[in-house]
Amino acid sequence: MLLDRRQIFAALAASAAGRVLRAADDSVAIPGKRPMILHNDRPEDLETPVRYFDSYLTPVDAFFVRQHIPRPAPIDAQAYRLTVNGLVSKQLSLTLADLQKLPQYTVPAVIECTGNGRGFYTPKVPGIQWGRGAIGNAEWAGPRIADILKLAGASSGAAFLETDGADTGVAKTPDFIRSLPISKALHPATLLALRMNGEPLPDLHGFPARLLVPGWDGTSSMKWVIRLTTAAEPNKGFFMNPGYRFPKYALPPGTPARPAELEVIEGMPVKSTITAPEDQSKAPLGPIVIRGFAWAGEQSIERVDVSTDGGSKWREAKLTGAKLPFAWRLWQIEWTPPQPGYYTILSRATDSAGRVQPIVAQWNPSGYLWNAIDRVGITVEKA
Amino acid sequence: MKRFAAAVLAAFWCAALWSADQATLDLGKKEEQQSCVACHSLRLIHSQRLSRATWSRELDKMAGWGTTIKDRDALLEYLVANYGDDKPIPAPAVSLDGSGKK
Repeated sequence: MLLDRRQIFAALAASAAGRVLRAADDSVAIPGKRPMILHNDRPEDLETPVRYFDSYLTPVDAFFVRQHIPRPAPIDAQAYRLTVNGLVSKQLSLTLADLQKLPQYTVPAVIECTGNGRGFYTPKVPGIQWGRGAIGNAEWAGPRIADILKLAGASSGAAFLETDGADTGVAKTPDFIRSLPISKALHPATLLALRMNGEPLPDLHGFPARLLVPGWDGTSSMKWVIRLTTAAEPNKGFFMNPGYRFPKYALPPGTPARPAELEVIEGMPVKSTITAPEDQSKAPLGPIVIRGFAWAGEQSIERVDVSTDGGSKWREAKLTGAKLPFAWRLWQIEWTPPQPGYYTILSRATDSAGRVQPIVAQWNPSGYLWNAIDRVGITVEKA
Repeated sequence: MKRFAAAVLAAFWCAALWSADQATLDLGKKEEQQSCVACHSLRLIHSQRLSRATWSRELDKMAGWGTTIKDRDALLEYLVANYGDDKPIPAPAVSLDGSGKK
């Protein structure tokens, strides 16, 4: 695992330095994006290099992108309609202007791909081999889902909200449809986001409207939303079952799950990432600031501990920013290495529910929810 | 002489075996071009390192999702030979700057 990650980050550092221009078939620029780790260019699946993560809000041009099926043709703002139907007293067809007239709320929140870190699991599992960058923290703004459902007179008998985006499958690939329990859909922080960091959503991030389901796996925060349907039952399509499920009981690595013992993933685990120093970098002997971010799904971050000796001793890092659910918190700690040499730096987050980042992430056949203690290596040289 | 003939025969046999393998791999590569690219770029495949059993399950999944794989065996051999879980993890590809910023 460590070797894989070293290889990945060493190569990334090399190309980041701009000295390595890769072969012609890799020369793809994604409009609106800085150089990103390219897992798939059709549809675009882009990972944020860790060195871009040095601010509370992740800039839009550095924010990761995940798409299951081909991106829909760009949606015309005037022609856009949101259908609200199902168990409602009046079916609605809302324009973008209608949505903009509803009270607008801003929620700072992480969106993290359910498979962030999949590439670190052993044995390897199929799917995009994300490293640490299928995550970002942004300010999302738009009307509450609760206000939209209220307009439609949603019935109290509705237990789920089914959501559909404008993207559709190719051949027999299933349409990307998801269901949320109504309690989460009605949560005051669950939005139909129209804006991201103060700007209208870019097409790659779901223009003109995407769900923000804060604290839950990224796949819940559907893009290009065109339909909200209240229902008594959850959708039974691929992206609800078997997609995006996690074993109820831990499995021996490499073994299949029993379908009946898979559960829908909802809230995300506690986790931290070290953003500086860069993995496998070098530094002169002297004070070093170790920095990163930490987040905990629907919980908030209580503390982050850092070790610079491979986990023998731990020190509490200083957290900055408000202690909020959904959003990440930045942390940092100063450290002066006692002598030259190679050091393994670890970070471990604890959340407000008492969850602590584990040493070993729970292997699962789809490679979801990687949240092992984060780790970088640094070589300290004589000044 | 007999021994020499046997060696020549063995050499031919090896060459035949090798070319059969290479032919299969070539066929597999062609199959990949035909059956995988309708829905996604090949980068999605080539960035993964999976066991034979896992690649085989992936082919079943993709066939279920509507792709027509004519030469399944060749495609599987090609994937295992190039993107098996014993192969080194590739360096990540990085896109060029599309941000429009200097």
